[in-house]
Amino acid sequence: MLRLSFNTFAERWPLFTGAILTVATGVALVQSSLLILVSAATQDLPPGLDPGAEAQMRDAYEGAVSLLGITLGIAYVLAIFIVSSTFAFTVAQRRRDLALLRLVGGSRGQLRRLLLSEALLLALFGSAIGVPLGILAEEAQSRLLVVLELIPPGFSAQWHDWILAVSFGVGIGVALTGVFAASRRAATVRPLDALRDVGDAARVMTAGRWIVGLLFTGGAVAMAIVSAHAPPEGAIALSANIALVGAIGLSMLSPLLVPLVGRAVGLVLRGTTLGGLAAANLRDAVRRTASTAAPLIVLSGLLIGLTGTLLSISNGIEEEQARDIAGDLVVTSTAEETARIASIPGVAAASAQTPVTVTLIERYPDGEGGEAVEREDTGFLAMDPAAYQQTHTRTPAAGSLDDLHGETVVVERGFNGHEVGDTIEASVAGREVTLRVVAVFDSSLSYDGFLLPRDLVSDEQLAQAPTQTIVRIAAGTDVDAVSMEIRAAGLGEVYTVAESISRAKSAQDDLNWRINAVIMGLSGLYALIAVINSVVIATSERKTEFAVARLSGLSRAQVLRMAFIESWAVATIALLLSGLAAGAALLGIRAAIDRLVGVPIAVVPWTMTAVVVAGSFLVVGAATLCTAAVATRPRPTTLATARE
Amino acid sequence: MRGVVKEYGTRQARVRALDGVSTDFPAGSWTAVMGPSGSGKSTLLHCAAGLEVVTSGQVRIGELDITTSSDAELTALRRRQIGFVFQSFNLLGSLTAGQNVALPLKLAGVRVSAREVRDVLAGVGLADRIRHRPRELSGGQQQRVAIARAMVTRPAVLFADEPTGALDSKSARVVLDLLRDMVDSDGQTIVMVTHDPAVAASADQVVFLSDGRIVDRTAGLNAHGVAERLAALED
Repeated sequence: MLRLSFNTFAERWPLFTGAILTVATGVALVQSSLLILVSAATQDLPPGLDPGAEAQMRDAYEGAVSLLGITLGIAYVLAIFIVSSTFAFTVAQRRRDLALLRLVGGSRGQLRRLLLSEALLLALFGSAIGVPLGILAEEAQSRLLVVLELIPPGFSAQWHDWILAVSFGVGIGVALTGVFAASRRAATVRPLDALRDVGDAARVMTAGRWIVGLLFTGGAVAMAIVSAHAPPEGAIALSANIALVGAIGLSMLSPLLVPLVGRAVGLVLRGTTLGGLAAANLRDAVRRTASTAAPLIVLSGLLIGLTGTLLSISNGIEEEQARDIAGDLVVTSTAEETARIASIPGVAAASAQTPVTVTLIERYPDGEGGEAVEREDTGFLAMDPAAYQQTHTRTPAAGSLDDLHGETVVVERGFNGHEVGDTIEASVAGREVTLRVVAVFDSSLSYDGFLLPRDLVSDEQLAQAPTQTIVRIAAGTDVDAVSMEIRAAGLGEVYTVAESISRAKSAQDDLNWRINAVIMGLSGLYALIAVINSVVIATSERKTEFAVARLSGLSRAQVLRMAFIESWAVATIALLLSGLAAGAALLGIRAAIDRLVGVPIAVVPWTMTAVVVAGSFLVVGAATLCTAAVATRPRPTTLATARE
Repeated sequence: MRGVVKEYGTRQARVRALDGVSTDFPAGSWTAVMGPSGSGKSTLLHCAAGLEVVTSGQVRIGELDITTSSDAELTALRRRQIGFVFQSFNLLGSLTAGQNVALPLKLAGVRVSAREVRDVLAGVGLADRIRHRPRELSGGQQQRVAIARAMVTRPAVLFADEPTGALDSKSARVVLDLLRDMVDSDGQTIVMVTHDPAVAASADQVVFLSDGRIVDRTAGLNAHGVAERLAALED
């Protein structure tokens, strides 16, 4: 039986090479993301750092770990989806061969065993290629993280031997999962189907497809509804999940859309023979169309959804700050200079805010009579409560900022469930203290409701720290004059509040872009490979059909044009559905921002959308033309008759 | 076959392809089923071979009633009792002629020696083509490989659906002579569907089918005689 697989491989290499390729790249991606995640989570900090720098570095690693968690999650789900849909496609494309095996005495069990052992072989090959490929991917991903400054520069990912088991396990598991259902269905093929050109005539919307499609689409809708109540730190992950899960669900349901688009193509290209032919082909080959569109739906859904989410968040933060800050100027300097700002004539209030990393210490019994200690870093702002209240409109939901002096702290709601009166054990600037919660803000997008009294940290320790001072000008005083005065005194850079907020927004956008690059960088590349792969598989499997079309009088150029029209229709289907998935993600983030900021904000990422739309048509069109050109190179007569 | 009825489609668009067909295909002889297109010839063959489930009636092969057989029983039947040859040769393009021939035995879990395969291929005059892929063979040669594949399990019945339909007259003659020889020297039972009177004339007896019913049966007619009967049916 395996010889049959080998020979089939030689015969249909684009099909099987495509399958191996998706396993190899999927394994590489998961392996690399997992190794980097584990390395970042267990990274030893370089010795000899002062407490502040050490806390900062630990904070950077913690940020990287949560980012890498999302990256790994997306990579893993993508690998499952792409590999299993590619493998299921390879099975579906061979219905006729399988029916023939049944005709000459193959049992259902034999067919299933053949397909499963074939998948096992392909997965073994794929994983074996994937592991070394993963080392390259790891190198690329680490470098990307360091270059984008999302992980400290000294970072290097470590190799662990157990990853081999994981990589092969993922490769084989994912491939077998994909083939399992497909092989069951294929085994029910009737021997008589060998005599008919069943092709795609078989039912496409199987029960499994309905179930997965409805479950995932429903899940995405449910998550979009839940988003409104989710904590802000989960918003990005949740939104990415909505886009991903929604895209997978819709790609399962895409066969329902194919006939409609087929009809639309027929209408648009009414009167042209090729248009009519393309429309008929689309309707006839629903399964092929759906399989080709699937990876593109996921890729563009993720790209548009994630970019829109990040843009919406940065716009939300901008809105939030504009609402909260009641000042005229913002001065950036070191903490040393801030004391003198208040003494400039015309300054009514000056609130200096210096970011300080606080290490929370949590002790709990370790189960063996001892005590386990966990440390977690969180960013706080050291400030003076009186000046703060004069320059901010935000008021706590519980407690009062007036109580903020000595060993006290203000947090946002939802932070470890702390309420007013709770105590938090922490280390601040190298000193262990017990902090009493004196006030709690509602949660915010920008997390700037975590406050410490300035007197908790010594002046020497704060002296060189970058500090923002929000300045309110006395009534009747010229803002520009005060601004000149501060600048002339050499106290730091002076901006209007609006300028400062928009500077913060571009910094946030820049950060978001980098986050996007890390999450979608290699995963996007993987999905792109899958898109091209599915186009190549689908098109190269149409050799005979193309040959017959040419024998019926179509020129080679006409066949290419027909395939091209079809490919654009496939891209259109994919883009419509991915737009829906991304839309669900945006509705989710819109609800979340509405709850946190009070203004429903959802930014449609038009630039990214334009790039994705143009890129999709370009890539799908070009891949189809190239493959169709190769597939139509032999003389049609040799192909049309060489079917058996 | 006893009172076999085969209907297709749902209530509104019901088509009765076989309408109470009862006939025997005597062992050790060659029966041709003839009729105009749409008369139900192929359906008759598919039902007789257990490829289609009949709507009512009974189909027996030897002692076995296949109308109630499970899929596993039908699979076993295809491995040992039945062979198929079709108009489109239905060889696996990825396998060589030899591998195609050995396939049914391998599927049945029987060890196949290269000699055995060569002998069977030699029996259809293609001993030297054992390593050729189907696409490297002519139509007539491909059909002979298909016959070799069908015969390798020494089936009780060989079902053939327009076996010469895609062949030129010279290749067709070779194939028909081969089938004749199998009947005469090995006592092979053959059921063959065709619309070509010249082909039907090679068989021992001819069953005429029209609108899903058997309307006539003859033996020992030549091509001319068969053609006249057929023409009479079509009027």
